[in-house]
Amino acid sequence: MVFPSVEFAVFFPVVLGLSWLLMPRPRAWKAFIIAASYLFYAAADVRFCALLAAVTLVNQVGATLVGRVSGDRAKNAVVTVTVGLDLLALGFFKYYGFFVSNVDEVLRDVGLGAPAPLLAVALPVGLSFFTFQAISYIVDVRRGICERATTVDLAIYLSFFPHLVAGPIVRAREFLPQLRTPRDPRDVAVGAGVMLIIFGLVKKVVIADFLARNAVDPVFAVPEAYGAPDAWTALLGYAVQIYCDFSGYTDIAIGLALLMGFIFPQNFDRPYRSLSIREFWRRWHMTLSRYLRDFIYIPLGGNREGQAKTIRNLMITMILGGLWHGAAWGFVLWGALHGAALALEHLRRGRAQSLPPAAAWLFTFLFVCLAWIPFRAPNLDTAWAFTQRLVTPGPATLLTPGIAVAIIGVLALQVAPERPLDALRERLVALPAVALGASLAVAVALVAAAVPGNAVPPFIYFQF
Amino acid sequence: MVEDQIPAPPTGRHLSARDAVVAVCVCVVLLLLFEGASIRRSGEEMQSGWERTLVLSVGRPAGALSDRTGLGGVKDRLVAWAHPDDGLSGPGGFEEAANTGSGVQPVAPVTSDAFDPRQLGLRPARPRTLRTVLVTGDSLAQPLDAKVARAFAAADNEVRVTRDARIGTSISQPDIVDWGQLAATQVRRKHPEAVVMFMGANEGFPMRARGRTLDCCGPEWAAEYAFRARQMMNTYRQAGAARVYWLSLPGPRDPARQRISRTVNAAITVAAAPYRAQVRIVDMTDLFTPGGRYRAAMPVAGRRELVRQADGVHLNDAGAAVALRPVLAALRADFGAQRVPAR
Repeated sequence: MVFPSVEFAVFFPVVLGLSWLLMPRPRAWKAFIIAASYLFYAAADVRFCALLAAVTLVNQVGATLVGRVSGDRAKNAVVTVTVGLDLLALGFFKYYGFFVSNVDEVLRDVGLGAPAPLLAVALPVGLSFFTFQAISYIVDVRRGICERATTVDLAIYLSFFPHLVAGPIVRAREFLPQLRTPRDPRDVAVGAGVMLIIFGLVKKVVIADFLARNAVDPVFAVPEAYGAPDAWTALLGYAVQIYCDFSGYTDIAIGLALLMGFIFPQNFDRPYRSLSIREFWRRWHMTLSRYLRDFIYIPLGGNREGQAKTIRNLMITMILGGLWHGAAWGFVLWGALHGAALALEHLRRGRAQSLPPAAAWLFTFLFVCLAWIPFRAPNLDTAWAFTQRLVTPGPATLLTPGIAVAIIGVLALQVAPERPLDALRERLVALPAVALGASLAVAVALVAAAVPGNAVPPFIYFQF
Repeated sequence: MVEDQIPAPPTGRHLSARDAVVAVCVCVVLLLLFEGASIRRSGEEMQSGWERTLVLSVGRPAGALSDRTGLGGVKDRLVAWAHPDDGLSGPGGFEEAANTGSGVQPVAPVTSDAFDPRQLGLRPARPRTLRTVLVTGDSLAQPLDAKVARAFAAADNEVRVTRDARIGTSISQPDIVDWGQLAATQVRRKHPEAVVMFMGANEGFPMRARGRTLDCCGPEWAAEYAFRARQMMNTYRQAGAARVYWLSLPGPRDPARQRISRTVNAAITVAAAPYRAQVRIVDMTDLFTPGGRYRAAMPVAGRRELVRQADGVHLNDAGAAVALRPVLAALRADFGAQRVPAR
């Protein structure tokens, strides 16, 4: 079940009403919200509910054992085994085919046969998100910065439908405390929630899907058929598309949670206004970047052990971050490019001469756009072909006024001053409930009318 | 030390839970009044299951209300500007043809088009010079469409490849996209000399014909499917001026879908019979599922490779590369090596 669908439009009002009705009775509310979340997940594939339940139970057993065994070594062993099982599930479903086919290729080159059967393993939707959340739980319990939750609370944390399939990656210590006491029905950010849902729908269905259909997909499928003007249109279009697609999903997820009384962390903060790659990662998929920082970069040593190791740690962190997006060399290359850029910035830090802001912005934005090529292209051959087209003369066949407005409009909003936009937002969220509901209805009707063939393409981040 | 880190709540006015429910209810009521017919239609288009039941339980009464009040029509007029033009309002739809379809008919004449000249040991008539190839279908057409386009782009022979995959559509469910109308529109707009068609991932819907509902996958369903496919083939072959390459379905993994796939394959073979001179059935069934056995991986250039996606239906990138070869070979046989690349 995806958010912009008729099924969800029927599902959510019922769940919202019952959720607030049951909120004063926590036991009933918790049972209800687990049932609703599993029903939501079952709509994707009922078989994967067992996997979600298994991840919940394994991590709860691990957290319980961490509290019971004595001594750091024993506790660490429990955490290692639990995280290992989480990664095993992630590895099997997400990386099995990639791993086996690459090992097969290497072994074949040295005259050895296939080591394991090639299987097309179905990726359970949201697996990357809920296993990462489970790991954050067990590790934070071990670190002593998060209390062991009850099994029911952990089940809600991992399965809560607004963030189940594509994040944001909410840390255990951000979410579990919100389950300790019922949400206050007198203090709900209704206006902010509704506005986020409206903006999210518009970003996804009106902007992202429009750009994908008309500017991005044709060129990335057959780059050889296009010249430089179209390749640049597609590249800029993709930069805007992926931002609107993913941040649109996140906006809807955060908005839905707000209506239910829960607060999720922010996931995007106008990333294309960044003046450095470091800043970009503080604004882009913020919940993933802080996760990578806290669970990979800092445990590896961070920047505490000299320049060489800092660069090594940055590269490892970003390559793993790339690989998290999917089992393909394009994601590895994308991660490596960002790692190298961060390393370069680290080496340059503290030097007197720095670029003027406009040049720094342009340089950062261009780098981020160019790095999207291996991320978006179906394989490295196509990525290379696309890159070549960026400097191949040719006619501009794709740049229509609609595409130009979509690209320039989104980028302009990223770099525009914050204050007027915030003032507008404050006015919108202060609307009375009836006006908010009517606005949402108008937005849904317009968005539905803008979809060709009545089908909204899946969110990009569902595949991760 | 335990550190709770609940994110800061959004700034601005906060209301109550009651207001949240009121806002959503207002939205729902307005949508039921104005979008009731769309909700009903969406439910009717869904595969059977609890989601369909849920949507229809809301959509049917809402649709009736929307019809009775006329508010659905008002909304359609108000938001018509936002709807992308799909050009599907022209003639050629399945509904239009349904009453003259696969029922009891006089014996149809057999024409010379029913024979592929090569089967008779004759030299086939040369088609028009190949300038435009249309690769179309449902999600099965991807990523094959890109493979075809890249092959022609690399050959640099001034042949234009147009890709038009319609995800989630089917011949048996014309409410989403009526492929009869779409085929006519594609021909009118693109004038392709060659059409590569690969579809069937979403088939199996009950079909309405001559006032009856035909359930998959009996002979009557197959006959109606063949009739619709034949109508499309006839449109695409443009009175004999163009060539059509209709790909048969590789067997899916799911046994329930295997039955649908077998029926579709049988139907398209029957559908092509009167147009053998112009319509080729390109065999993907034996290529990917020899002996009817599903396999996710197969030998490709001396090494085993995954050729199917994890859903057990679609071809992956490597599978599309495998499918490309017989497609290009069939195109070369008709249009010659100068216009069609070998790979």
